[in-house]
Amino acid sequence: MKKIFIISVLSLMLAVSVFSASKKKYGKEITVKETTKISEIIANPEKFEGKRVLVKGPIVDVCKERGCWIKIGSDKEFESIRFKVEDGVIVFPLDIKGMTAAAEGIVSVKKYSVEELIKSGEEHAKKEGTTFDASTVKEPKIVLQIKGEGARVDGK
Amino acid sequence: MIQLKWRRWNIILHRDIGYLTVALVIIYGVSGLAVNHIADWNPNYIQKKEIVTIEPIVSTEKDTIVAQAVEHLHLGQKPDNVFRPDPETVQLFYPGITYSVDLPTGNVLVESNPRRMVLYEMNQLHVNSPKGLWTFIADIFAVSLIFMGISGLFILKGKNGLMGRGKWFVLFGTAIPLVYWIWFQYLQ
Repeated sequence: MKKIFIISVLSLMLAVSVFSASKKKYGKEITVKETTKISEIIANPEKFEGKRVLVKGPIVDVCKERGCWIKIGSDKEFESIRFKVEDGVIVFPLDIKGMTAAAEGIVSVKKYSVEELIKSGEEHAKKEGTTFDASTVKEPKIVLQIKGEGARVDGK
Repeated sequence: MIQLKWRRWNIILHRDIGYLTVALVIIYGVSGLAVNHIADWNPNYIQKKEIVTIEPIVSTEKDTIVAQAVEHLHLGQKPDNVFRPDPETVQLFYPGITYSVDLPTGNVLVESNPRRMVLYEMNQLHVNSPKGLWTFIADIFAVSLIFMGISGLFILKGKNGLMGRGKWFVLFGTAIPLVYWIWFQYLQ
């Protein structure tokens, strides 16, 4: 019985080591070789709409509720792009914030009306416990995101 | 005689699979409670936020801004990553901690998200974060649970067995999800 116990524990330790080795890979393998600059996607959304891209940059925010998106900082200042994954399929842990991601997915472009933006802003403010001034929304907005399929996260 | 052997094996398997799965039952049960209330709290991380104030930073050059912020916050070493979401803010990322500096006021939001010890690991296993081999283990566990439920029905005979008072408990237990779902779907 002792032998069975020792063999079982060793097998479990092996399983844990396999898990540890792959813990910074999320979703599918990355297949795109060439990196696209986030600034290029933001500057030409129509050109990239529906295209599969690989982007790299710092993870500047992570979905606090379900880990279902990360925001990746652009190569240019004041720009970032959201990398949205299917709920539950990939779950990004909160503590990857600040690390560097290489992320692959399909570029999606969505247009939001003023009403939709106000509603979304109010909901976000309620969630975060902050305030939202609806009068700051004056025109429709194009929201860019990458429908994420796979990502690799490095410590630096 | 054959019937006796069958019941004896049922009891042996129920007992030993019970021993084998008790740790997983506790892990999935505790994590289930934690994840059920995900709307009220984060079951994986403690979210810490603190505001500190440093001298305002007037420079517009990124490297100078970062160097001054690091110095004013007494951080000692360069951040792993830096991001400027807008011209008035710089974010410095260190392992497990983020400093968001509002340059004109010097107000700094310090955010960290330490993991909830043990609960984090339980939740990761419960939601099958590791995938791979854990999917296989979790599948076997799920089948074991089904076996435990069904074999448990046939442990006892007589007035405390399935055909005695047991059938009423089984019926009541089956009615709970059934009645709830009918109410949830059609009546509420």
